[in-house]
Amino acid sequence: MATEAGVPVALSTYQDESTFQFERVKGSEIVRPHLSLGKNPSRDELESKITEYYCLDELVEVLKKSKEDNISREYNRITLQFPDSLICDSATIVHELQRRLGVINDAVSRQKLWILADTSYSPCCIDEVAAEHVNSDLVVHFGDACLNPIDKLPAVYVFGKPVVDVANLVNQFKTRYPIEECQSSKILLMSDSPHTYILKQVYEQLAVEYSGLCYADLALVPSTKATIIGYKPHSVVDAKFKTMNRALVGLENVEDYENDEFDIDTILSEHELFHISTPEAPRLLQLVTKFSSVTLYDAFTKQISQGPYPNLMRRYRYMHMARSAGTVGLLVNTLSLANTKKLINTMAKRIKDAGKKHYIFVVGKPNVAKLANFENVDMWCVLGCDHQGIIVDQSNEYFKPIVTPYELLLALSDELTWTGKWITDFKQVLKQVDEEEDADEEEKHDEDDDEDAPPEFDAVTGRYVSTSRPLRQLQHLQISSQEEVKNDVESKALVNKLSSAVAIKNTVSTSAQYLQTRHWTGLGSDYNTEEGEISSAGANLEEGRGGIARGYDYDREVHS
Amino acid sequence: MVAFTIEQIRELMDKVTNVRNMSVIAHVDHGKSTLTDSLVQRAGIISAAKAGEARFTDTRKDEQERGITIKSTAISLYAAMTDDDVKEIKQKTEGNSFLINLIDSPGHVDFSSEVTAALRVTDGALVVVDCVEGVCVQTETVLRQSLGERIKPVVIINKVDRALLELQVTKEDLYQSFARTVESVNVIISTYVDPAIGDCQVYPDKGTVAFGSGLHGWAFTVRQFASRYSKKFGVDRLKMMERLWGDSYFNPKTKKWTNKDKDADGKQLERAFNMFVLDPIFRLFAAIMNFKKDEIPTLLEKLEISLKGDEKELEGKALLKVVMRKFLPAADALLEMIIIHLPSPVTAQAYRAETLYEGPSDDASCTAIRNCDPKADLMLYVSKMVPTSDKGRFYAFGRVFAGTVRSGQKVRIQGPNYQVGKKEDLFLKSIQRTVLMMGRFVEAIDDCPAGNIVGLVGIDQFLLKSGTITTSDASHNMKVMKFSVSPVVQVAVEVKNANDLPKLVEGLKRLSKSDPCVLCTINESGEHIVAGTGELHLEICLQDLENDHAGVPLKISPPIVSYRETVEGESSMVALSKSPNKHNRIYVKAQPIDEEVSLDIEAGVVNPRDDFKARARVLADKHGWDVTDARKIWCFGPDGTGPNVVVDQSKAVQYLNEIKDSVVAAFQWATKEGPIFGETVRSIRVNILDVTLHADAIHRGGGQIIPTMRRVTYASMLLAEPAIQEPVFLVEIQCPENAIGGIYSVLNTKRGQVISEEQRPGTPLFTVKAYLPVNESFGFTADLRKSTGGQAFPQLIFDHWSVLNGDVTDPNSKPGAIVKAKRIRQGMKPEVPGYEEYYDKL
Repeated sequence: MATEAGVPVALSTYQDESTFQFERVKGSEIVRPHLSLGKNPSRDELESKITEYYCLDELVEVLKKSKEDNISREYNRITLQFPDSLICDSATIVHELQRRLGVINDAVSRQKLWILADTSYSPCCIDEVAAEHVNSDLVVHFGDACLNPIDKLPAVYVFGKPVVDVANLVNQFKTRYPIEECQSSKILLMSDSPHTYILKQVYEQLAVEYSGLCYADLALVPSTKATIIGYKPHSVVDAKFKTMNRALVGLENVEDYENDEFDIDTILSEHELFHISTPEAPRLLQLVTKFSSVTLYDAFTKQISQGPYPNLMRRYRYMHMARSAGTVGLLVNTLSLANTKKLINTMAKRIKDAGKKHYIFVVGKPNVAKLANFENVDMWCVLGCDHQGIIVDQSNEYFKPIVTPYELLLALSDELTWTGKWITDFKQVLKQVDEEEDADEEEKHDEDDDEDAPPEFDAVTGRYVSTSRPLRQLQHLQISSQEEVKNDVESKALVNKLSSAVAIKNTVSTSAQYLQTRHWTGLGSDYNTEEGEISSAGANLEEGRGGIARGYDYDREVHS
Repeated sequence: MVAFTIEQIRELMDKVTNVRNMSVIAHVDHGKSTLTDSLVQRAGIISAAKAGEARFTDTRKDEQERGITIKSTAISLYAAMTDDDVKEIKQKTEGNSFLINLIDSPGHVDFSSEVTAALRVTDGALVVVDCVEGVCVQTETVLRQSLGERIKPVVIINKVDRALLELQVTKEDLYQSFARTVESVNVIISTYVDPAIGDCQVYPDKGTVAFGSGLHGWAFTVRQFASRYSKKFGVDRLKMMERLWGDSYFNPKTKKWTNKDKDADGKQLERAFNMFVLDPIFRLFAAIMNFKKDEIPTLLEKLEISLKGDEKELEGKALLKVVMRKFLPAADALLEMIIIHLPSPVTAQAYRAETLYEGPSDDASCTAIRNCDPKADLMLYVSKMVPTSDKGRFYAFGRVFAGTVRSGQKVRIQGPNYQVGKKEDLFLKSIQRTVLMMGRFVEAIDDCPAGNIVGLVGIDQFLLKSGTITTSDASHNMKVMKFSVSPVVQVAVEVKNANDLPKLVEGLKRLSKSDPCVLCTINESGEHIVAGTGELHLEICLQDLENDHAGVPLKISPPIVSYRETVEGESSMVALSKSPNKHNRIYVKAQPIDEEVSLDIEAGVVNPRDDFKARARVLADKHGWDVTDARKIWCFGPDGTGPNVVVDQSKAVQYLNEIKDSVVAAFQWATKEGPIFGETVRSIRVNILDVTLHADAIHRGGGQIIPTMRRVTYASMLLAEPAIQEPVFLVEIQCPENAIGGIYSVLNTKRGQVISEEQRPGTPLFTVKAYLPVNESFGFTADLRKSTGGQAFPQLIFDHWSVLNGDVTDPNSKPGAIVKAKRIRQGMKPEVPGYEEYYDKL
């Protein structure tokens, strides 16, 4: 088929062969900046670097651990979870592990390894659900991790050991905090989990000169079944100095904090933060709200930066928008975090009590396009890990605003409040809910009033919004149920009847309401006559396009 | 002062033909409130003890202090007419008693929205014009607005005492000055020829123009003098009225009337108006002010004025006041003019119905309005909210257009977004009480029939600023008021003490309610913004907010200007964006739309609720659009009503109708926050040239189309010479000649552009008009006062949006600097993105 006649005319755009050249993945060079390799490393060099970086020796020891009977090994089905940036090393690691564990040759060992790539939710969390697909009994998590507790599986964290130019780091720190001015300032050193191993070293170098310095060491929740490979956290820290999965080292000797009557948040707000590596937006926002100032040091570029940071006041705006939103989409962006289910149920109940409609969505890797598919949702509330799982929309890309459960709670309370805090921990949020419930137990809305509730003032647009509490529109419910009774047998239209109901199973359906306002109401609606009746003639049937999007019929003709 | 019981007033309200609803409108300082005072003292219905204070209708403390009216205030007046006068009323009447509901409105341009709200509930307007200053910018604005609402004007030329005492003009000069003022009022009126309402021009010889002095409490119409002289000359009064104005002369020798200013011998004749009307006044003034004690008693006797005991002891100005008030009481002249020439609700609603009602002009509600039928279903328009003594609660102030509103009645409250058959913005509620509002006093009444002005208690939580109240579920909304001013000046407010935040938000809500025009929003960076029409308006609003509505100490930012984003050319190439899944493509081009079209959309002349065919006709006939294009307007934006449109120019695209909703949603979003610096977009038209869609419905859903349409709109705008528009004030300054130099130098430093400079004939005053960007206007009044020694006072009123010349992407240009500053403030990247960011290659 080389003639021009091969181009079908049914399509609007003239499309020739070049339009349908399939895009091919270009063989790109794999860059591994984290390993700090030289140019064109040899195979051996790479392997040894990887072994070193991921402390594979130590990992193998753990995996080789036997059960009490000394015959079979403790972990037989092992899943290795990689974030996207480290997936390039996964094959090498598996080969290495298989070789060392003797999985291939030794028929006795029933150990099996899986690679978990493309994590559904945030890559910093352990993906229990994916691991359970293969009935895994151990998850090895590679790369940066949030260390948030998970419910069931035992886990091993392998952060990797990125190379850091400590001398440069110390110098940069000294330029940021000149010794003359900041000798006794309260400064906290922190980093993401891979970089934490150098903190002690840096701290020891700087603490001589800076008396107010302390650093944040990793701290696992005591009850956890997880272990860390390649790094041993400082173990003797009082529980009161633990926060955000970090333990603050260097505070024990400060007199002010010796008694127990202090709040960890007050300590943090007195400190300036020097953070090595740039955290993801939600974590960064959390840090910005907790500390008096935040300075970031990028270990790769060796530069420090102080902003721009995510703005908490934008969240204040979103909180107001949530007050006037009628439909809330509960976006579940994690399944493994502890308390997730409880929080979903609590939030759903609170939303319902506030007279708003909610829908629950479980979406892996949410993005603009996925969320924009649900046009009738006015406000998203994302339940996710505070490291990477919360969407902080910096550039207004999302169609509808996204808030956190804590912000939504603020918005749902009758009295307007804004604490200036940004709480992401599920436990704390749940605690907040309990407190509130205790407070307003006696307060109940008398729903038997046959008059409508007044509209809500939307401080963002400066208007009254009548749709902010769809569940409280009792009157309107009655109206719609009457309509349902009037079952018009004569009607030819199936869709019309369905979409005229705004109540499904005795609850208001804001989706149905939204569908009614749509211009497009289904096939054939564009053939409606002016009066809104469907003309009996209809349109002639035509043969449309066939095939699948990757290559329609005519594409194949063109390409063959 | 006539004291009435509430029952008596209520009785008067039933005779709708004898009710007059009218507003007093004028430029600032032309004497509205003072004139109103003279009416209140004479005919106010409230008990005498409460009245009689100066500026009765200025109820707020700051109004009294500043000497300006800020809020409009309603009062009711009673008047009884003689049978003789009643005969002259050319509309249906019943008996001799009349009830006048008068609304005194503010004259300062910043409060024009109050005037708009007042005009909506009235049928007639008393236009007050300063005899020396003449027709000023605000006179013109409010007059235009009243004519647009089909409200009939009558005029009073005020402060005649100034002309006589300060300027010492001659009779003929004064006549010429009167004639000129009447002329310039009529010039404005003549631009609004509306066959439905008929001739609205004003004529002194028909009695629709009065002359007087509010301060001294006297006024007259030609009709009054004609009545006096018609008996004397034995001529019919109407004929006499014609003779007492214009080129009409009386020859005392021949005792003949002529229209030539010379007699047979070529001797100059005196104009009849000067001779019969002005002469007695001039003589009184001359005699009293020159202390000619012997002349005064004879004059008084001739004019049938008798003074009481201690009044005889007075002299000079004080005596003049007393004498003039007895000779020509202002209330008489005004009441007579109002009752005879302004329409009753019955008369007015017959022609106003279709301009008031959004629905079809032949449905039951519109017919009921047209007939002003008290027995029909209720149609009531709430035009503003008036604070009560109970903090945070408001009276809903409005007018019954049809039906009767009762205490305890269950009504449908329809907000501005209500549409028949939909549930949005609709509330069912009982009215707690209906009240009569008079100045600062409120009296409860049981019910209020069509044609009257009323206050409602208990529905304030349902309406923010205005709305329609009905009892029929088939009733459409009454038309939303269009304000002549826009809130273009903003400040950010925050609380000094973080715990006060809830009070601030509640205060902002109350503030939004209490003022028809103020806008309280939250911007991108989470700051609370209060937007007003001008510096004074904002100042008053913020004062109210801090002291009253919120009652907490506030931090207030320096004023900020709101800008608009637009394009100046057509996209240099077709903009293309692919959906996230790469399976759908949208091809568009952006181009500017003419300013006239934008203005028509903003004014609601072209609006999304119209039938698309009728709308296309208007666009084609008036603005030269292609009819096919005009019919294929998919939507307006932002908010579904803004001055930007999407036009479908594609041909035979499969599934196109399916994505229309997504495209519309995306366009609202994109025009609300433009690509340049997140400001509202204005005056752009996006033409959809072509669309390719995936054959499978799931792959062309909202999620794919909405972000894509937004991106392609941005790309097309950035390809079409993007620019920003800034708001521009029209400034009018009246000053003596020696201050003009100072005015020019101040205007020059502030990018001002003088458009006219005229001397007002017969006065030493000059009027300078100029355009001044709002951005430069902060502190303008103070600067002007400094450089002119306090002789020049400007009036600033929002006039238009003007493109700020320069490249928005170049931070060294003026607009570029503004854009960059705003982007940084909002936490965006400092550079305006290139079109490439939103454009996808094929």
